[in-house]
Amino acid sequence: MKLPLSWLKDYVEWNVTPEEFVERMMWRGFEVADILDEMPGVSGVVVGRITALEKHPNADKLQICTIDVGAAEPLTIVTGATNVFEGALVPVALDGAKLVGGIEIKPTKMRGVESYGMLCSGKELGLTEADYPGAEVYGIMILNGDLTLGESIEKAIGMDDIIFDIELTPNRADCQSIIGICREAAAALGQKFAEPVIRKVAGEGNSADYASVTVENTELCPRYSARVVTDLVIEPSPKWMQRRLKAVGMRPINNIVDITNYVLVEYGHPMHAFDLACVKDGHIVVRNAHEGEVVTTLDSKERPVTPDMLLIADPEKGVGIAGVMGGENSEITENTKATLFEAAAFKGSNIRATTRKLRHVTDAAARFIKGVEPVNAYLALERAIELVDELKAGKIIGEPIDVCAADVSPRVIDVDYAHVNKILNTAIAPEDMVKMLGTINISAEVIGDILRVDVPHFRTDIESGIEADWDIAEEVGRIYGYDNIPPTLMNGQTFRGRVGDDLRDEDAIKDLLVNEGCCEMYNYNFTGPAALDALRIPEGDEKRLAVKLLNPFGEDQSLMRTTLLAGVLDSVARNYGRKTGQTRFFEVGNVHFDNNDDLPEERKLIGIAYAGEEEDFFTLKGSIEALLESFNMLEGYSIVAGGGEYFQPGQKALILADGEVIGECGAIHPKVQKAWSIPQKVYYAEISVEKLRAHKGGKRTYQALPRFPKVTLDIAVVVEESVTAAEMKAAIASAPVALTIGDVELFDVYRGVGIPEGKKSMAYSFALSAADHTLTGDEIQQGMKCVIDTLGEKLGAQLRA
Amino acid sequence: MNEALEKIRQDALARLAEVQDEKELEALNVSVLGRNGALTEILRTMGKLDKEQRAKLGQASNAVKKELEEAIGKRREEIAEIMMEKRFAAEALDVTEPGKRKAPKGHLHPMTRTYREIRDALIGMGFTTFGGPEVEYDDYNFTKLNLPLDHPARDMQDTFYINDKVVLRTHTSPCEARALLNLKPPFRLVMPGRVFRVDEVDASHSPVFMQMEGFVVDRDITLADLKGTLDTFVHAVFGEDVRTRFRPSYFPFTEPSAEVDISCSICGGKGCRVCKGTGWIEILGCGVTNPHELENCGLDPKEWKAIAFGIGVDRVTSLKYGITDIRLEYENDARFLRQF
Repeated sequence: MKLPLSWLKDYVEWNVTPEEFVERMMWRGFEVADILDEMPGVSGVVVGRITALEKHPNADKLQICTIDVGAAEPLTIVTGATNVFEGALVPVALDGAKLVGGIEIKPTKMRGVESYGMLCSGKELGLTEADYPGAEVYGIMILNGDLTLGESIEKAIGMDDIIFDIELTPNRADCQSIIGICREAAAALGQKFAEPVIRKVAGEGNSADYASVTVENTELCPRYSARVVTDLVIEPSPKWMQRRLKAVGMRPINNIVDITNYVLVEYGHPMHAFDLACVKDGHIVVRNAHEGEVVTTLDSKERPVTPDMLLIADPEKGVGIAGVMGGENSEITENTKATLFEAAAFKGSNIRATTRKLRHVTDAAARFIKGVEPVNAYLALERAIELVDELKAGKIIGEPIDVCAADVSPRVIDVDYAHVNKILNTAIAPEDMVKMLGTINISAEVIGDILRVDVPHFRTDIESGIEADWDIAEEVGRIYGYDNIPPTLMNGQTFRGRVGDDLRDEDAIKDLLVNEGCCEMYNYNFTGPAALDALRIPEGDEKRLAVKLLNPFGEDQSLMRTTLLAGVLDSVARNYGRKTGQTRFFEVGNVHFDNNDDLPEERKLIGIAYAGEEEDFFTLKGSIEALLESFNMLEGYSIVAGGGEYFQPGQKALILADGEVIGECGAIHPKVQKAWSIPQKVYYAEISVEKLRAHKGGKRTYQALPRFPKVTLDIAVVVEESVTAAEMKAAIASAPVALTIGDVELFDVYRGVGIPEGKKSMAYSFALSAADHTLTGDEIQQGMKCVIDTLGEKLGAQLRA
Repeated sequence: MNEALEKIRQDALARLAEVQDEKELEALNVSVLGRNGALTEILRTMGKLDKEQRAKLGQASNAVKKELEEAIGKRREEIAEIMMEKRFAAEALDVTEPGKRKAPKGHLHPMTRTYREIRDALIGMGFTTFGGPEVEYDDYNFTKLNLPLDHPARDMQDTFYINDKVVLRTHTSPCEARALLNLKPPFRLVMPGRVFRVDEVDASHSPVFMQMEGFVVDRDITLADLKGTLDTFVHAVFGEDVRTRFRPSYFPFTEPSAEVDISCSICGGKGCRVCKGTGWIEILGCGVTNPHELENCGLDPKEWKAIAFGIGVDRVTSLKYGITDIRLEYENDARFLRQF
C-alpha cells in the first residue's frame, strides 16, 4: 500500500519526522517497508541558468554552456541539445547525480573540453508532459517561472513528495485504501480521524430511463450499485489527480477511468465504468457464465468462461468478468457519450477461483480476493459521482441504482472484557478500552461485565463469534502497546522437558558419523524421473513409487525422493568438481513413498558416501560397524552379498540386524558414476533409521572380568577362493574344545607364490582361555589342533606349509 | 706402602672426575676395585708384611676401598643424569608440528548445530520434542489452523500440492493440530522439521527450509507469558546482550499475533546492510493461538489457552554465523561445512 505524505496530510496534522512515523506505525502492526521519492531514481539534479553559450571548437553538434547553479563558480557543461539558449533555466545533473535507469553522472572530457555535469531531458528525469509541460519535448527540459538557482529539481517543480510503502497484513483489507490507512495513521499520531463526508449529488431525470440492474446470483454478488452519467466530456484528468495516481504507481488515462482508479486508491474499492451505449437496453445482468461462453476482455484477450464464474452481462452478451476485468466490447473510449459506473461487492473466494482458472489476476481481483464489503461499495460509488461533479465530467442522472441482498445493518458484538485482560495479562479498565477503541473509530460502551462494541462496517476482520474476545484483545493490545505488557514466565505445573528417543538417537548417529570424519549434508527432497533412471532403478521397484508434485518447479524436481542417493551424488560431484578434498559425507533425511491418495509413507534414512583415494568397501564397512557398535547391535548383525542396481556387482551387500535387512552398502556402479561425472570411486551406504532403532541392542550388563590369562594363537591355512571370512570365523569359533575361543580376527589374506591357483591363504589370530585355571601347554596344543581339524573338516582348510 | 695406597686413591679419584659415560666408569671400577685391580694387588702384597703392618695396611686399604666405592657410586648417578639429559636433547620435538589423527574429524551441518541449540534452550524451559510428517493433509496444514479453503491468507503461503487434500507442509504448525488431537493438555512442545514453499531459489529464499515450532497449551497462558518465554529463549540462543522487540502482526492461527525482532547481531543495533539500516532483524512469528484452531481440534478455548511461535532455523543459522547466502546451506560444499 503506497501512502503519499501529501495525501496523508489531507487527514492529519503532520508533526513528526518520517522516521518517527515509521516507528509509530510499526508499533501498531503496520510495517513501512520503504520510503520512496516521487521522482524515483533521481538525485543530485538542481536548477541552473545558462549564462553563456558558445560553439564547441572541435565538434559541430556540441555546445559549451556556462551554467550558474547558485554556487560561487559557474559550471562548464557540454551539451548536444539544440533547444538550449542563453538565459534558459534547466535541470542540471551535478557530479555524482543519479538519473532514471541507474545512470550516474561523472565529469568527462567531450572532444577535448571538460564537462562537469549534464543538462537533463524530461525523460532522463522520468517525467512526462503531465508532470511538467515541456517534459516530453525533444531536447532539454526548459523550466519556467521564478526559480531559485541550485534548488533541487524535485522541489522546484513540486515533485518532492515522499511515499510510504506500507506492508499490510491480510486481515486488514480496510487499510488497502488511503482512508483506511490514514485512519490508523491518525491514531498512531494521537490525532482524531474525521471520517470523510461525501457530498451527495442529486441527478437529473430518472435512472430507470437509462439503465437497470438484475442480480441473478446474490450469493456471489451481495451488492451491485451503479449510476448513469451522460453527456460525458472525456479529457485528461486534472493535474492533482494525475499526480496522486502516479505517486501510487498508476498510469493516468482519462478523467472517467482516472476517477474509478482514484476511488480505488482512496476507498480501496474497485470500480468499473461501462460505455452505456454498448450495454443492450442499458440492462446489466449479473449472472453465472453459460457453458462455452467466451468474453473478450479489455486486454483484447479471448477468455473462455465456465458456469462457476460470475459475469456482468447485458441481455445478449457478457460485458465483463465480474471482479476481474471489463469487456472490450463496453470499454470507455474518447467517443463514449454515456457511462454506467459500477461499484459492486463480489464474493472473494469465487473471484479467487476464477482468477486461478483463468490464470490471470488483476489489481481489482486481488482486492476482491482480500475481501471488500458492501457498505464501502456504495460509498465508493457516491464518491465517484462526487468527483464526476467536481471535474464536470458529465451529467449525473437520477438516483443510484442499488441492488443489495447483503445485510448492511450495524453489527454489535458483546465482549467479555475480563477475558480480554486475561488473554493479554493486563488490568486495563473497561472504560479505558472504550477510549482506546475510540481512537480507531470503533465505538463501544461498558454494560456490566460486557463491553458492547459497534463494529464499523469496514472492520470485517472483527468477528461476531467465538473469536470476538480475541479480536478485541488484539485491538486493545496493539493500541495499549505490546511493549507496555511486561513479560512473565509461565507458571502452573512443572514440566520435565526432554528430547524424544527418536531425536536423541538421530543426534547419536550424526555425532558418530562426524567422529568417523564425515561432513553432514542437507540436500533438497525433490528429485525427478531422470535421476531415478540414472540410478538404474528398475520399473516396478519400490523406489519408483515416488510422490508426484502437482506444481513442481520442473520435471527434474517433480518427485519427492525415495532414496537419498541422488542428492548425495549431486553434492559429492559438486565437491569433486570444486576440489574441496572432502572424502566422507553423510545425510540424515526423509524419503516418501506414494500411498495412493492418502499421506505417503515417510521413512528416515541415513546416507553415507565415501569417495577418496584411501577409501574402499571396507573403510565404509568399518564406519557402518562403528555405527552398529554404538547402538550395541554388533551381535546379531550380519552382512551378505546383495543390494540395489546402483551398486557394482560383486561389491555390494545387504546389512542385516537379527535377520532383517536394515540397509545396504557398496561401490557405486560405474554407469551411475558416469551419469554424475564423478571419476573418483564412490562407496555408499543407506540405512533405515527406524529399523536401526528397532534393532538397538538391549540393556548392557556387566560381565565378570577373566581371572586367568588368555593365550593368543596365530594360524594360517590355505582354502578355496570361495571360502568367506565369515565362514572361517564361524568355523574357528565353533571348534569343539572345552576352552573358550574368542577374539577371532583375520589379519592377512595372501594369494600368489606358494599358494595353488584358485586358493588363498588366510591368517587368523584367536585367543584360548578357561574361566577357572591358567592353561597348560597340553591344553593349548590340543586347542590349536582342534581348531585346525575343524577348519579342515568344515572348509577343507589345510595348514599352510 | 701407604704411599702406594695413597697414589691409587689419588689416581682413581682423578680418573673418576674425567669419566663421562658408564662404560668408562665400569672400566675404572674394574681396574681399581676388580679382582685384578690395583687395590687388590696391594692387598696381595700384604702376606710379606708383619702382623701389625698388615693390620694397618688392611685398615687403610679398606678405608680407601670404601671411599672409592662411594665416589664411584656417586659418579654413576651423576652419569645416569647426564645420559638422560643427552637422551632428552636427542628426543626433543618440534611441538608445533601438526597433531596426528586416525581420520580428520567431520562436521555437523550448521543448521543441525542451530537446531540443537534452539531445542536445548527450550528443553531447559520444560519443552518436549514432538513431530509430524513433511507431507501433510491440507486439513492439518491449513483448515484446522483457521485457514479454510477460501481464506485470503492462504495466498501468503505458496504451497506445493500432491493432490487436493495432501500438500507439502508449508510450516511446522500442522504439528500443533496433531498435538491437540493426540495429546492430553497441558503440554509444552518443540516441533522441528523441514517445510516447503513455492519459492524460487535465491540468496534469501529456498523452496525447502527448516522450522521449529514452539507450542504451549495450558489453562492460564497469556500474551505476557509468550513474551517472557521468547525473551528467555532469545537470550539463551543469541546471548544476554541481545534486545528483543515484540511488534503486532497477523497470522491466521494466532490472535493477538506478533513478530519478534532482535537487535542486529552484526552491527549491534546501529544499522547495517544485514538489518537494512534498521538495527533490528526479524527472527520469528508468534501469538496467542486463535480460538478457532483450538475449537477445530476439540478443545474449549474458554477453558484452554495456547501460545505458539515458529522459528526459521535457516534464518537463525544465517544470523548466528553471518551467512549471507542461504544457498550455501544446501550446496554442501565441504569448504563451507568445515567452518562449523
